[in-house]
Amino acid sequence: MLRLIIKKEIQSALRDTRIQFAGTFLILLMLVSVLVGRQGQKQIQKERAEAQATMYDKWVNQGAKHPHSAAHYGQFAFKPKPVLSFLDLGLDNYTGVSVFLEAHKQNEVLYSAAQEGNGMTRFGELTAALVLQVLLPLLIIFLTFNIFSREREEGTLKLIHGQGISMRKLLMGKVWGTYALVLLIFIPVICLAYFLLDQASAGFDPHVGVKFMGLLASYSLYLLIFVLLSVIISAFSKSSSFSLLSLLGLWIAACIILPKATTNLADKVYPTPSQYEFRKTIAEKVENGIDGHNPSDARLADLKKQVLDEYNVSKTEDLPVNWRGIAMQAGEEYTDQVYDHEFSKVENIFKKQNRVSEWAGFINPYLAIRNLSMAFSGTDFHHHVAFVKAAENYRRAFVKKMNKDMEVNDKPGTEDYRVDKEMWESIESFSYEAPDIGKIISVQWRSVTALVFWLVALFTLASIYAPKISRL
Amino acid sequence: MKNLLHICRFEWKNLWRNNTLIILLLVFFGAGIYGIYFGKFEIQKQEDRMATVQEYERQQFDSLLTWVSLDTSIKANQINFRRAVSPTGEGRSKHFTYYVLHHTPPLAGLCLGQRDLFPVYYGLNVTDLARQMNIGELANPMKLLTGNFDLSYVIIFLLPLLIVALFYDLYAKEKEGGTLTLLQSQSVKLSTVLMGKGLLRLLIVLGSATGLLLLGFLLQGISLGQNAGIFFQSLGLIYTYCLFWTAVMAGIIALRKSSATSAIYGLGIWLLLTMISPALLNLFVSAKTPLPNRTDSVHELRTLSGKVWGSPRSFVYDQFYPKYPEYDKGDSINFNQWYYASFTLFDDKANSLNQEYESQVAKRNQLLKKWQWLAPAAMVHENFSSISKTDRESHIRFVKRIHEFHDDLKNTYYPKIFDDENFNKTELMELQAKLEE
Repeated sequence: MLRLIIKKEIQSALRDTRIQFAGTFLILLMLVSVLVGRQGQKQIQKERAEAQATMYDKWVNQGAKHPHSAAHYGQFAFKPKPVLSFLDLGLDNYTGVSVFLEAHKQNEVLYSAAQEGNGMTRFGELTAALVLQVLLPLLIIFLTFNIFSREREEGTLKLIHGQGISMRKLLMGKVWGTYALVLLIFIPVICLAYFLLDQASAGFDPHVGVKFMGLLASYSLYLLIFVLLSVIISAFSKSSSFSLLSLLGLWIAACIILPKATTNLADKVYPTPSQYEFRKTIAEKVENGIDGHNPSDARLADLKKQVLDEYNVSKTEDLPVNWRGIAMQAGEEYTDQVYDHEFSKVENIFKKQNRVSEWAGFINPYLAIRNLSMAFSGTDFHHHVAFVKAAENYRRAFVKKMNKDMEVNDKPGTEDYRVDKEMWESIESFSYEAPDIGKIISVQWRSVTALVFWLVALFTLASIYAPKISRL
Repeated sequence: MKNLLHICRFEWKNLWRNNTLIILLLVFFGAGIYGIYFGKFEIQKQEDRMATVQEYERQQFDSLLTWVSLDTSIKANQINFRRAVSPTGEGRSKHFTYYVLHHTPPLAGLCLGQRDLFPVYYGLNVTDLARQMNIGELANPMKLLTGNFDLSYVIIFLLPLLIVALFYDLYAKEKEGGTLTLLQSQSVKLSTVLMGKGLLRLLIVLGSATGLLLLGFLLQGISLGQNAGIFFQSLGLIYTYCLFWTAVMAGIIALRKSSATSAIYGLGIWLLLTMISPALLNLFVSAKTPLPNRTDSVHELRTLSGKVWGSPRSFVYDQFYPKYPEYDKGDSINFNQWYYASFTLFDDKANSLNQEYESQVAKRNQLLKKWQWLAPAAMVHENFSSISKTDRESHIRFVKRIHEFHDDLKNTYYPKIFDDENFNKTELMELQAKLEE
């Protein structure tokens, strides 16, 4: 019986020319976004990989020089364009692309695409995510708003009821029938996208297969939630127009108004510090110590005494090692500590802000899927932070190596100490691997739970109240 | 004409008795007032930040003025005295950091535009500008992505929805309610009735839009008298946008479809014009013209820096003096002179590279502009930000002003550095005039 209902739903929807048109249009949109977006992703990744290689080449061929000059010469880190980013661009246009890595200071990841574009950029790029999160739910609404009320208005509901079909079965039949159509629209294009993945970029992310499955599963859940919600609302609406209006109202609230309001609220509750305060605090803490009672010259004097004692000499000139190398590395490490301290403060504020919209996923499933989709596509905030940290660790490692070399080899008495290519080559080119699926789930569990919560709640609701449909 | 007025009056009664209009207007004005409030909040945050840096700047300058009068025969005072008077600063710290502010234009709170993407202040000293500009404001990218719920958003996204909601059943309601045949039997032509109904709705829409804009001025405390010009410009833009959407709805009504179908068509076109077409346009443009790689300029600067440090004298003699003969002091040259000369060389290089990037970016944005008619919502947004002076162009003008400020700074500092002189108290007082009001 269930199968019959499902079949009937699919057939009657497929016969509707408006549905045919809307469905084809969505498929075409997704196809365009996948084909053009993939091309763009491939192109950008190619350019970034080339830029990374060129810059590394320049580092290797910088010529013979003092290791500290080389640390000042510095290196670059380019963020690989996530291979799935063409399915969901996420924050990619709003986070920087590359960072200059040099001695003594931690530069910002700069040059975001949004800054280069005019106001049009703020309207976003067409991706499958836009279609699946916003447009497909609208199609679901049109498929379902009169799925019960029409039967009610035409009197067929009583006929069906009279034949002894349970309302629960009828409801589920309509849910699965609609859902089958939805899957028909989105699964083929998304799977096509997977086969078209740029293999060169996929190399940066060994977990891309699992992430893609995660993406697929999240969207399947989200769309099922939307189908359930629409069918239930339709089932308990007296008229088609009432159910259409309430569904459209919900859609506008969930997909258009609430996301902005939620993010704005979060920014109000957890205010972002200004760049000026951030830099000032760092400079002050480096100067006066993290606790404010350990000024930099006292720190230096302590270190000097310690080193002199260790080698049992009285002046730095008598040391068998380069004092400036030691001092510089100590300074570097202290600055790093201060920076980590301050940066993690800002990072935590941002995370708290984002958490507001993660929890809000329990109220608005759109927010849950938005977060999950970005996470699986490698374009969420956590991925950005992971890149920033990887670049910073790389910087620390190579600067340390330069300082160490200077400490050990540029001994007092050495004239015009220089190192060459062999040294530069001993530092490998920057490479970055995106966080794996375990990490993603561990930071996005709220959104996963929110989706599951919605699904369970709606199924429960449906099965408890289904028998009442016929009485309405 | 009399008939038309009569129809309008009757229709108004009809609409007023029906709760839908009231609910729609409540939601629209509710969203609008929230947008006005939120815009004010965002702008206030920027203003507070600017006020903080300005106060800090004043405090710092006051210290300079105190230090310059110190008794230098006391050894402890000497460092601070040198900090105040030496144009190259003392030790590793430079002389003074001036803050240049991107003052809030009056309408910024109504249309935040691109203003949240860029810093609204830069701190600079007389060293090279290029590296001092390589800085961003701390911002949660999630917030930048989601965008701002300001008045411009309400107007661009929600106002068309209001129009769709008001117009979609203009004809179908009569038909579905069974009143159509009654109307057709009247002596008044059906088209006049529909015209009257449409006119009334248009008036409601224009009235609400005007009301909301006025509320925006009122609640944000923007003086209408001083900004009458931009008020009418914005109003004109909003009216054009309203008329555009009314025309779209008129086209849909002319098809004489059922109310549900008309609503779906309206919503479909709304989706197409506010979300899909700008997104499609962005997709094609970013795939076709990827953004330039700006790291090249950092690389050029570090290479230049390496060369300068490698042979400072030859750089000053071969490149700096020929370009800037006014600073040519012949053979004598000290560390600060070549050090500061190098900054000018960096900036020259950086500026020429930057021009190249900007021309590439401009080409890309030109492409977007060429096709923007496909995305009227984005077009209106861009125009609204341009009227409010919150678009990217305004930031570019701000950057230009920073360049002028920095040039001016150099004209004051460089003669001192190359004559190897210090500032005296009167000169410091003159420098104080450079601080922004």
